[in-house]
Amino acid sequence: MLDFFTIFSKGGLVLWCFQGVNGSFTGPVNALIRSVILQERSGSNLFIHDALSMKYKLDNEFELVFVVGFQKILTLTYVDKFLDDVQLRFRDRYKNQLEQKGAMKLLNGSFQFQDDFQQLLREAEESTKACAPAPMKTFMQSQKSQKTVKSMIETRGGEKGKEKESNKKSKNAKKEASAAEGDGDSTRGGTQSGLPKKSSPKPQENGNEGLTPEEIKRNQQEFFRRMGGGAKKPSSSSSSKSPKPEKLQRVKGNREWVMGGTNTKELDYSNKDMNGSQDTLPATKDNAEDLKQLGQMKGDLRSVDYESSEEEEEDEEVVVSAAAAANPSKSSSKSFRGVFGMLKGLVGSKSLSQEDMEPVLDKLRDHLIAKNVAADIASKLCESVAKKLEGKVMGTFTTVTSTVKQALQDSLVQILQPKRRVDILRDVMEARAQRRPFVVTFCGVNGVGKSTNLAKISFWLIENGFSVLIAACDTFRAGAVEQLRTHQRRLNSMHPPEENGGRPRVQLYEKGYGKDAAGIAMEAIAYARSHSFDVVLVDTAGRMQDNAPLMVALAKLIAVNMPDLVLFVGEALVGNEAVDQLVKFNQALADHSMSDKPRIIDGIVLTKFDTIDDKVGAAISMTYITGQPIVFVGTGQTYSDLRSLNARAVVSALMKA
Amino acid sequence: MEAAVFQPFLDSIQKELQAQDPAVLAVLVALVVVIISIIFMKIVWGRKTTRSAVLLVGLCDSGKTLIFSRLLSGKFKKTQTSITDSSTIYSVKREKGCGFTLIDLPGHESLRPQFVERFKSAARAVVFVVDSAVFQKELRDVAEFLYSLLTDAEIVKNAPALVVTCNKQDITMAKSAKVIQQQLEKELNTLRVTRSAALSTQDGSTAGGTVYLGKKGKDFEFSQLPMKVEFVECSAKGYKAEDGEADIEQLEKCLARIS
Repeated sequence: MLDFFTIFSKGGLVLWCFQGVNGSFTGPVNALIRSVILQERSGSNLFIHDALSMKYKLDNEFELVFVVGFQKILTLTYVDKFLDDVQLRFRDRYKNQLEQKGAMKLLNGSFQFQDDFQQLLREAEESTKACAPAPMKTFMQSQKSQKTVKSMIETRGGEKGKEKESNKKSKNAKKEASAAEGDGDSTRGGTQSGLPKKSSPKPQENGNEGLTPEEIKRNQQEFFRRMGGGAKKPSSSSSSKSPKPEKLQRVKGNREWVMGGTNTKELDYSNKDMNGSQDTLPATKDNAEDLKQLGQMKGDLRSVDYESSEEEEEDEEVVVSAAAAANPSKSSSKSFRGVFGMLKGLVGSKSLSQEDMEPVLDKLRDHLIAKNVAADIASKLCESVAKKLEGKVMGTFTTVTSTVKQALQDSLVQILQPKRRVDILRDVMEARAQRRPFVVTFCGVNGVGKSTNLAKISFWLIENGFSVLIAACDTFRAGAVEQLRTHQRRLNSMHPPEENGGRPRVQLYEKGYGKDAAGIAMEAIAYARSHSFDVVLVDTAGRMQDNAPLMVALAKLIAVNMPDLVLFVGEALVGNEAVDQLVKFNQALADHSMSDKPRIIDGIVLTKFDTIDDKVGAAISMTYITGQPIVFVGTGQTYSDLRSLNARAVVSALMKA
Repeated sequence: MEAAVFQPFLDSIQKELQAQDPAVLAVLVALVVVIISIIFMKIVWGRKTTRSAVLLVGLCDSGKTLIFSRLLSGKFKKTQTSITDSSTIYSVKREKGCGFTLIDLPGHESLRPQFVERFKSAARAVVFVVDSAVFQKELRDVAEFLYSLLTDAEIVKNAPALVVTCNKQDITMAKSAKVIQQQLEKELNTLRVTRSAALSTQDGSTAGGTVYLGKKGKDFEFSQLPMKVEFVECSAKGYKAEDGEADIEQLEKCLARIS
């Protein structure tokens, strides 16, 4: 029934494989490796790929991976135990060859495992056939019949109690009747004999639960009384509790504001000539700070800097003897045996077990949560690290803490490394060579900094010599279009159009408020293509992930316009919300696009990074959920506060005590 | 004058030695042993840092693990995506003498940087494996990886020999080594512009290395690099059936020349 079974080393060499069906399985197993093991999702050991479901097991002592694959529609119960058995048998048999360091033995050895495998498979299949499904317990055998009815009543009010009691009794009656009769035919419209409330069983199978019509009427009356009285009850109770103060009879007069006038003309502060078609600001004093930033953003983005305390982390393993010296101080309070046992644990090879890692992992999980990583992501990460380290043999002079910490650090760096190339400038050049604009769409919830970071990114792009068209597709928020226009004017004043042969570097494409965003985006892209702009930056309105109509509108904008890059803007302050936001955004984009290859989020912009000192967990949550890289990091509100992500610095800040 | 300062010390030491005091003798012997062992360890560790490894790097699915298996045992083995590195001693065929350690690094994007980081200081030569059949699609990724290797400060300092192996030549659509070389040169030229524009204006740490590839003002060519660069073609799978011989003659010759 199994499609395939492979045993391969972590270095990539397949040691033995069994193929039940024709067709190569390298593809599915590679997909398993890439999506599960490399993305640290090895908490659950089941992975579904197309029509195939795969279960796997990591052997960390000899660096092997065991994978079994079978059809998704089958439910085979013996697979887990079978995997364990195969692993044990394989290890026992080939222990000598596997223990060698270096790949020569793996290459030269031939692993004739076929017979053992068939035998184990036969045993596993027979064991499932052997145990028949257990027969159902009768009601008298169950625990419920042992309980008295009184113990099941919650006394919240006398009436309710009695009603529940009658219900329970009649339910008991029904169950017993059905148990006694087996699968007897239900007697519809059973006898309406007056069933006394506390008596025993008479098979009543009608829908009234064995109550007579009189009783039903009585219950209904009580119910209505209670409902009618219920409204009065709170007020009556409150009136009984405390004497209500008399309402002060007082007429509210109009409040007199000092500065306010009845004349609204005084309140109009708009400068009448701002609405004109001026595209650039004159170079006044206000632009002085802007001009200071001119020329700072050329080339690739700088990465986020941190005082790197990473040297301390790497020296940790070497200096663990010092840590070992520090540890006895803790255990000196314990008995002498404790000290001896701990020292013995340091020297010599010991393989890690789940119990050893449990306390360390709990502490690390709490540490991660304290650093603003989403709670379930922290637990999934810790489970995955546990799976990766289980059974691994530690060297001498390494403690469990240091091994687990190092493994967690490695997996965090691995998560933050981008899985694809992130080079926006190169892609823009490529699009320019193909004579089409490079379209970037920004989406996100309200107030995360989409428009601000859009302005920063356009500053970076024009510093590197590209021309930018900003499409104002936020047609909802008041002032959105004006905000973008202000940015456009400032940017153009810094890079005057005379540099560019008379054409302004940044232009704004807007159609006012209240229009359809997808239509504006489409027109903007067509405009950019006809006027040969290099980049189109599309700003959308902020929307909550639960707001279904807005999510549909966003999905439509993205599906219709097919942008080159869909960036999700998230702030670094967000905590567990990040998981919810990203999952729902991705789901909406995937569900509401008509094509079979929907565009989902391609990259993440992490904003407000300067507001967190080292609680940088949001970066981990976001990359873990989507698997997409963090393309930009926003560290402030001026134009040059745009950085790229430095994975090592972020992880060292995260693991700092 | 200094001799005068040392003279009383020397006199006292001589007196102690002549006195044959066991404690002083023991201390002196211990000192001598410590000094000798320090010198010895310095020599040993110094020798260890001489580079003796050949790294097999490349993008995911380019065939590094299969080349590794072919070079070492000549057999064809099924392979999966590597999660960790594999290393073993490799001795050049038909030649006795210095073998080196052949290290196969994983190519997956999330693992690549940390493994290259770990092993780059020990590299005597770097075999960069390229999948010639899908090269056109992956051109930019290949060029970016090559760029990051070539601008890494430590690699530039050590200047290990670079052998660009165009693998999978058994597929009919595979590009030849010449074509790959030309396209890589063009692509690295463009990358130079996008990445190194930062060097002149910024003084913070830049994303890539701080090295400028090739010569300024001229188009980039591999001959401008400080290290020896060679392009070879090979087919790890072999032109016949699976169990046939692999065509890695050129690669083996290159490796022999290096050692």
